[in-house]
Amino acid sequence: MLPSFRGGWPAAGIGLLLLFPLSSPDAFFLDVFTTGFLLAAFAASWDVVGGIAGQVTLGHALPFGAAAYACALLTSLAGWPLPLAVAAAILLAAAVGAGVGTLSAPLSGPFVALLTLALGEIAHEAAAGNTFFSGPGGYAWGGEGGIPVALPWQDAPPFASYYVALCFLCLASFAMLRFSRSGAGLILRAVAGSPITAQASGVPIARFKRLAFTVGSAFAGATGAGFAIHVGRATATDLSLELSFQAATFAAVGGRGTIVGPVVAALVLHVLFQGLSLPPAARVLLYALTLMVTLRFFPGGVVGTVREAAWRVRWKNGTGSFRRRGRGRPGEGGS
Amino acid sequence: MTALLSAEGITKSFGATRVIEGIALSIAPGEPVGLFGPNGSGKTTLVNILSGLLFPDAGTVRFEGKEITRLPIDARYRLGVARTFQIPHPYPALSVHEALRVALAADPGNRSAGEGARGDEEGAIEDLLARTGLFNQRLVPCALLSQGCLRRLEFARAFACRPKLLILDEVFSALSALDEKELLDLLLAANRDDGTAFLLVSHNPPLLKSLCRRILVLEEGRIVRERRV
Amino acid sequence: MSPLSQVLLDGIFAGGTYALMAAGMALILGVVKVINLSHGAFFTLGAYVAYALAERGIAHPGAAALLSAAIAFAFGVFLGKSFVNPIRSHPFALPVGTLACALLFEQAAQMVWGPHPLSIETGAPWVGPGGLLIRRWGAIAFLSSAALLAGLKGLLATRPGLPLRLIAEDEEIAGSLGMDVEAIRYLTFGGACAMAAAAGALLSPSGAVTPTMGRAPLILSLVVVIVAGMDSIGAIFLLSIGLGILGNACAYLLSPQWSYVALLAAVSLLLAARPAGIVVLAGRSD
Repeated sequence: MLPSFRGGWPAAGIGLLLLFPLSSPDAFFLDVFTTGFLLAAFAASWDVVGGIAGQVTLGHALPFGAAAYACALLTSLAGWPLPLAVAAAILLAAAVGAGVGTLSAPLSGPFVALLTLALGEIAHEAAAGNTFFSGPGGYAWGGEGGIPVALPWQDAPPFASYYVALCFLCLASFAMLRFSRSGAGLILRAVAGSPITAQASGVPIARFKRLAFTVGSAFAGATGAGFAIHVGRATATDLSLELSFQAATFAAVGGRGTIVGPVVAALVLHVLFQGLSLPPAARVLLYALTLMVTLRFFPGGVVGTVREAAWRVRWKNGTGSFRRRGRGRPGEGGS
Repeated sequence: MTALLSAEGITKSFGATRVIEGIALSIAPGEPVGLFGPNGSGKTTLVNILSGLLFPDAGTVRFEGKEITRLPIDARYRLGVARTFQIPHPYPALSVHEALRVALAADPGNRSAGEGARGDEEGAIEDLLARTGLFNQRLVPCALLSQGCLRRLEFARAFACRPKLLILDEVFSALSALDEKELLDLLLAANRDDGTAFLLVSHNPPLLKSLCRRILVLEEGRIVRERRV
Repeated sequence: MSPLSQVLLDGIFAGGTYALMAAGMALILGVVKVINLSHGAFFTLGAYVAYALAERGIAHPGAAALLSAAIAFAFGVFLGKSFVNPIRSHPFALPVGTLACALLFEQAAQMVWGPHPLSIETGAPWVGPGGLLIRRWGAIAFLSSAALLAGLKGLLATRPGLPLRLIAEDEEIAGSLGMDVEAIRYLTFGGACAMAAAAGALLSPSGAVTPTMGRAPLILSLVVVIVAGMDSIGAIFLLSIGLGILGNACAYLLSPQWSYVALLAAVSLLLAARPAGIVVLAGRSD
């Protein structure tokens, strides 16, 4: 019951994004898009947990920031090469996700949100107040200043970052889409839709909830590591409630459970708000406003509302009665 | 011969209210058993305990001799104890076909990857759809099904694990005559041909008499009578 | 004067006032059946209203509390009617939606008053036995809160409070008795927000007023309601005092950030350790 992509519009979108830097835009805009690609991947990773598996998490910044800090600490303090640090960071994020998933599996919806919020805030407070690390050279290690990532290159040209981030977004989204369409993804949807029926169908729901958190957190960690590399440091805002909230907003606006919806919503909203150079407070305010309007008037998000309308139209002509007149429709593809 | 399902001393209270007390029962392999009782007699609680949604305060439940008292419902399903719900909670976003795929995923035999297994899964789903008369609705989102089709889906889901024991909670109530007849035939065929035992909860005495070999009568949390048909 | 007994006294004052907010959270959870993550934002609203009044020379706890309560009631009713009630049926929407309200307000406050901590001058405290300082606002806050909660308890025990108890127990019966359940819901929501704002106004001089100051009280209210339940106002009052003392001690011995972290850890442990209790509290299947 997933939308299939008729018309190839995602390909067109990717094509446009690939061409964009060739029009020699300002480095500022290239940076906006680069961050946007990373945030879009982050939004997609939220969707694995909160959309497909239905576990609304308000602490998705935790694996994101954990990976960012792991990357920074491992490269700067322990001197690890960057690829190794990134791999370790992603593993850490996945482990964090598994832990959070285990703790939240017995809880019902609102309490999952509350627990994940609390865990994320604990991490944020620890990082924001943290001044354990004092390195040489008078850096403000830890605390609000953050911890730098030791990069093997000096200054990455903006268009290189842009293309790498776009590539990462496409690969990550593709992987998450495949996951959502796999057998495990179907089971997660079942768990989200009706946990009791899933259980009565033999699904060990705690295990699958943990799986959703682990996979979603792993991708969030990849995004966090990428973000830390792009910005050059890990800061406490990588663990902030505002960031967790943004992920939920992108998914709600774009359409939970679709992967693509959150990606598009993230790109559009981020590029729009940051491109207009609005101050951070105004941006978060607008995100909050957008979310509230969406929840109130489009509960399924943009994609969800369209899809639901399409379903109602398609299935309105006699669905339930066993004795339908005429033959059934021939099997359609696309499930 | 070892009983398929046996329960002893089952007691459950909610707060200060003792809902069921000292229940003992056993079901032989392939045996059709009925459970009759008025509202408030503890039927649903007993069914939830036997199927694994609830755990008793005292007592044991055994399946094929092994203790399953604290085994959750999904593990019991995989063992071959399936239950239907009086009020189904259908998936809002999955089709009938997908719902059955989820149920089949629990079967260890189907979990292996590869073409052979996939083909088996498709075949098994089609078989279930045909038996329950849902083939024409296989692409319909579960939440849009009529009550009769939802009950059929409950049967299909229960049969997906090739159950040795079916626990049916008021599964025939409020159905159209045609739906009821078809599902009755389905249940009888499963009992006769596959040797599937069942525990049918109902407050319809003629139905119980026509289907079951033994009827347990539950009243205020205790089994007060056992009638052989 | 022992600093610890000062900490104790201030903690009692603070905790007793937080009880007002926690009772509001209990009302929302029971009647509107929502985990209201914007509760802390209303607390903050109360504090900023008190600050705004103090800037204009009116540093009076009663005035601050009343004005904040009135403003918060208006906003709360508006929010309840236009936002919370319509989206109640979507389980996803509620925690995220109320969080959106909270963040919206935090950012608005930051834009209007800036992110830096502000403080309110309230004049000299009374001096009690052993040199103990009794802050005027603190004492008034505690007494007002106790009085209001006693009143609430009385209300719920008698006929006027019947609609609230009925809706908390069984909405269908309430509706079939002709009660306007929707109206009672958003009015209760507004009332609870007013309680949070009053608490914020009354406690505003005791610390710094910042846009995110409501987050810790929010978590505190949640801890109280999870542990003490929604039924007993007395339990809510006592537990809030206990947490107020602990929080104050924590802030004094370590730092205010640590008391926030301690509250977060408390709520996480509670949720991790007693899922059964939480399911009962939620009252709806997922």
